[in-house]
Amino acid sequence: MKEEALEIINGVLAKGRKSLVEYEAKQVLKAYGLPLPEEKLAKSADEAIKYAEEIGYPVVLKLMSPQILHKSDARVVALKIKDADELRKKWEEIHENARKYRPDAEILGVLVAPMLKPGREVIIGVTEDPQFGHAVMFGLGGIFVEILKDVTFRIVPIEEKDAWAMIKNIKGYPILAGARGEEPADMKALVDMILKVSKLVDDLKDYLKEMDLNPVFVYNEGEGAMIVDARIILK
Amino acid sequence: MHKTFIALNREFPSENFQFRRNFNEGFKLKVMNMEKPRIVEELKPFFEPKGVAIIGATDKKGKVGNVIFENFKMNKEKGIFKGNIYPVNLKLDEIEGYKVYKNVREVPEDAELAVISIPAKFVPATMKDIAEKGIKAVVIITGGFGELGEEGKKMERDILQTAKENGIRIVGPNCVGIYAPDTGVDTVFLPENKMDRPSSGNIAFVTQSGAFAAAMLDWAAMAGIGISKMVSYGNKLDVDDADLMDYFIHDEQTKVVTLYIEGVKEGRKFIEAARRITAVKPVIALKSGKTEYGAKAASSHTGALAGADTIYDAVFKQTGILRAEDFEHMFDVAKAFAKCKLPKGDRVGIITDGGGAGVMASDAVAKFGLKMAELSKETIDFLKEKFPPHAVAGNPTDVVGDTDAQRYKYAIEAFVNDPNVDAIVIITLFQVPLLDEMELIDILAEYAQKSDKPIVAVAMGGKKTEYYAKILEDKGIPVYMTPERGVRAVAGLVQYAKYLEKLGE
Repeated sequence: MKEEALEIINGVLAKGRKSLVEYEAKQVLKAYGLPLPEEKLAKSADEAIKYAEEIGYPVVLKLMSPQILHKSDARVVALKIKDADELRKKWEEIHENARKYRPDAEILGVLVAPMLKPGREVIIGVTEDPQFGHAVMFGLGGIFVEILKDVTFRIVPIEEKDAWAMIKNIKGYPILAGARGEEPADMKALVDMILKVSKLVDDLKDYLKEMDLNPVFVYNEGEGAMIVDARIILK
Repeated sequence: MHKTFIALNREFPSENFQFRRNFNEGFKLKVMNMEKPRIVEELKPFFEPKGVAIIGATDKKGKVGNVIFENFKMNKEKGIFKGNIYPVNLKLDEIEGYKVYKNVREVPEDAELAVISIPAKFVPATMKDIAEKGIKAVVIITGGFGELGEEGKKMERDILQTAKENGIRIVGPNCVGIYAPDTGVDTVFLPENKMDRPSSGNIAFVTQSGAFAAAMLDWAAMAGIGISKMVSYGNKLDVDDADLMDYFIHDEQTKVVTLYIEGVKEGRKFIEAARRITAVKPVIALKSGKTEYGAKAASSHTGALAGADTIYDAVFKQTGILRAEDFEHMFDVAKAFAKCKLPKGDRVGIITDGGGAGVMASDAVAKFGLKMAELSKETIDFLKEKFPPHAVAGNPTDVVGDTDAQRYKYAIEAFVNDPNVDAIVIITLFQVPLLDEMELIDILAEYAQKSDKPIVAVAMGGKKTEYYAKILEDKGIPVYMTPERGVRAVAGLVQYAKYLEKLGE
């Protein structure tokens, strides 16, 4: 776990970078067994088409560049791609957008990802406090985090009862528990994720500054959760 | 819902519960089995020194060194302070019949504590004298160190180095130090005629701020809140919150610890000590102070959302520390811990002689995440049989304005025996005409004593009410001015009981 994650982190540091692109961040998360979609990094449109066929359409393209951390601002994400023709078109489009946004952008490749079934959105994050060390954050995604700031923190290492308390502490908890006739969300999967993130942070605390898993889709009870986007910032 | 008390979604109550029993039996089971850490011995001379050297003692009225000397002298005359007093001052030979020593090196061998109030620039050298003398506990009242720039910080480093090399523990600098009513240690330099001292009790109070310490002690004296020990540590050069929490675990007189914190320097140490103490004694914290986060540009969502306040919230939740909204809240809850047993669950029963007050209490039950108890059929039947038709048997039970003490007694008896009630809030408007106040007080005291449920009282009113409230408190029942404050105190008991129960799982 730790060795694999450190290899990726050291690789990034060796290039003089402090932040991991989504693809790299997800490699680190994968090393700790966090739930991730089957995704591949393509260096050419042809390669992307090959991967898209393996994954199955519709797919998503996300351009990976260390200079572009806000992918939607730079319009380098293309969703719901139905076939090879559309993929080629979008491939050109996101590269063009990247050049416009940051002419000097170094492009590491394009992440080919499946279109995920939408779930309830949550955010899991990490920050470092100067006195108490690293803390994990949990909250509901979208407006809940943006506007209501309905989040809760716990200091690493986190025990299972703390992870459950985090989920139940947020005001939006009824949304996860199943409000308005909805089925309850897979909270066990979330607890498992929080504990894995805690372990990851505990191992890598000398390197990690901040981390966002945002959004994470959580599905109905028994159906798990999936990290859609991830960002890691190093010290 | 009130942010401090978020009800956890779990099964509650449980009957057989070791931690709760520990609390109700005065922690003896748990604490007896714990190994005493070194800190207990190290801090002992701060609270019960055989002799105290007062460095900077003077006969000039109003001077810090004079007030501290007078405090010890007065407590010795009263027979509370049992140690010897050794004033130290280069320029004096005698103060009010006490021999004055030129240097701390000359004081007799039984001096175990030194209290320093001389100007900052003389403190580093004095520390070396103290080290030579072999005194291991020092309170530095003097200000003008780290809080005033680089030169002061350098002096602090020198002082700390001397301390570390010689195994000396320091409280302060820039503080009011120690107040221990049972042993007569009182380094609070605000004179008795300007600031009252609270009586002896079970609440320990730890504070960074000296001003807050003084204001709180004065107020606690007025409010009749008993203090076991007060420590104001100021710049926290050495002894900090974590050390004191470890000390209070083993302090038999302390039942509950209150902390006023501006900032924690060693986060890990704090977390570990907090976990140790909350497993046996409740800790209530009031946290203030701005953060360095404001200036920090965060590159992630999470970083942007993390304020020091949210992090402290996390620390308190994880370590079982109850967070107080304000000063009043802190001591309302502390008072409940000092006097009450821990509840088995979160179901509250309310007895009142005024309908409006009952509604206010019911609202507060919801606000603080508690539940209104559903009374058993036996309780309802019993009350209906004993009550006149216009009194209300229910929750709240309203004994109404023509009540006498006996009607209260029926209600309390029924609530105490009802397995569906975990905690009882009794609202007494002492003003009603037929109520014999002393009879009611005795009934309350009797049930608070024999029941294993927490019982708190609410008494709203003026001077006469205050008079009876005081008697009631002296008999071991916490009394609150409003239904909301009474219920909020119960919520604190419930929150801690839940924390303990989760620990036991």
